[in-house]
Amino acid sequence: MVATIRLSVPGALRYRPIAVRVVAEAARLVSGSSPRDPKNPTIDPLAHDIRHPFDTAVVSAFMEIFNNIAIHAYQRKGAGTIEIEITPSLDAIVIEVKDDGRPFDIDNVVPLSTDLDEEALPEGGMGIHIAKTMLDEMTYEPGPPNIWRLCKRLPATQVAVGRS
Amino acid sequence: MPVPFDVQLSSDETKVTIRGSLDINGAPALADEIDKVVATRPSKVVVDLSELDLIDSSGVAALVKLYKGVRGGGGAFRISGARDQPLAIFKLLRMDKVFNL
Repeated sequence: MVATIRLSVPGALRYRPIAVRVVAEAARLVSGSSPRDPKNPTIDPLAHDIRHPFDTAVVSAFMEIFNNIAIHAYQRKGAGTIEIEITPSLDAIVIEVKDDGRPFDIDNVVPLSTDLDEEALPEGGMGIHIAKTMLDEMTYEPGPPNIWRLCKRLPATQVAVGRS
Repeated sequence: MPVPFDVQLSSDETKVTIRGSLDINGAPALADEIDKVVATRPSKVVVDLSELDLIDSSGVAALVKLYKGVRGGGGAFRISGARDQPLAIFKLLRMDKVFNL
């Protein structure tokens, strides 16, 4: 059964943890991973504990896109909302992130050098690269509204049998 | 709520422990601490990330800034305990080789 989760938050960085929490839990619905550490069952289940590679990828990508919207689209002024629509299915997650801020010039993102060495370590501009690499698909449609679409699939070997 | 990071100086090394989430909301505060650490021209810095659950590109940038500052002053730099999502990010950015993870 495919269901959609919708969340609307003010477009400011201080609301990012709330959105990340929702995205992380939605990712867990797909990966089937549990936030509880079996070796330490008393651990706070609300603590960040993102271990499964699928959850890691989805949360990492989402964090960077949220940052991008808050900083570039809303220019750190938070004068707008970020609409998040998450559709987890049996083996994939699709996240649509919408804002009404300034469109982002995705074509002008300097590609990260694949040849990183001590001298060439970047101090910025890594966000889009992280998101793109972590996801199976990422699209951006400038608006308004601007729409990011993030998609990650669970490898076939990891899809749980008999799970609804 | 645990302190997000602390800096411990001993005779032979400076240990920076970062906890929880190192991200765009917390990286600016760490940047101030980084400047202070680098100004002491430490001979050896160890960054303990065993309690770090989440990092984003701003957090990585802060660590890179620390790395460059320490190395620029002739010091040794090491990251210990990186795991889960932060480790995945370092690997994606191929920083695991530079940081010797």
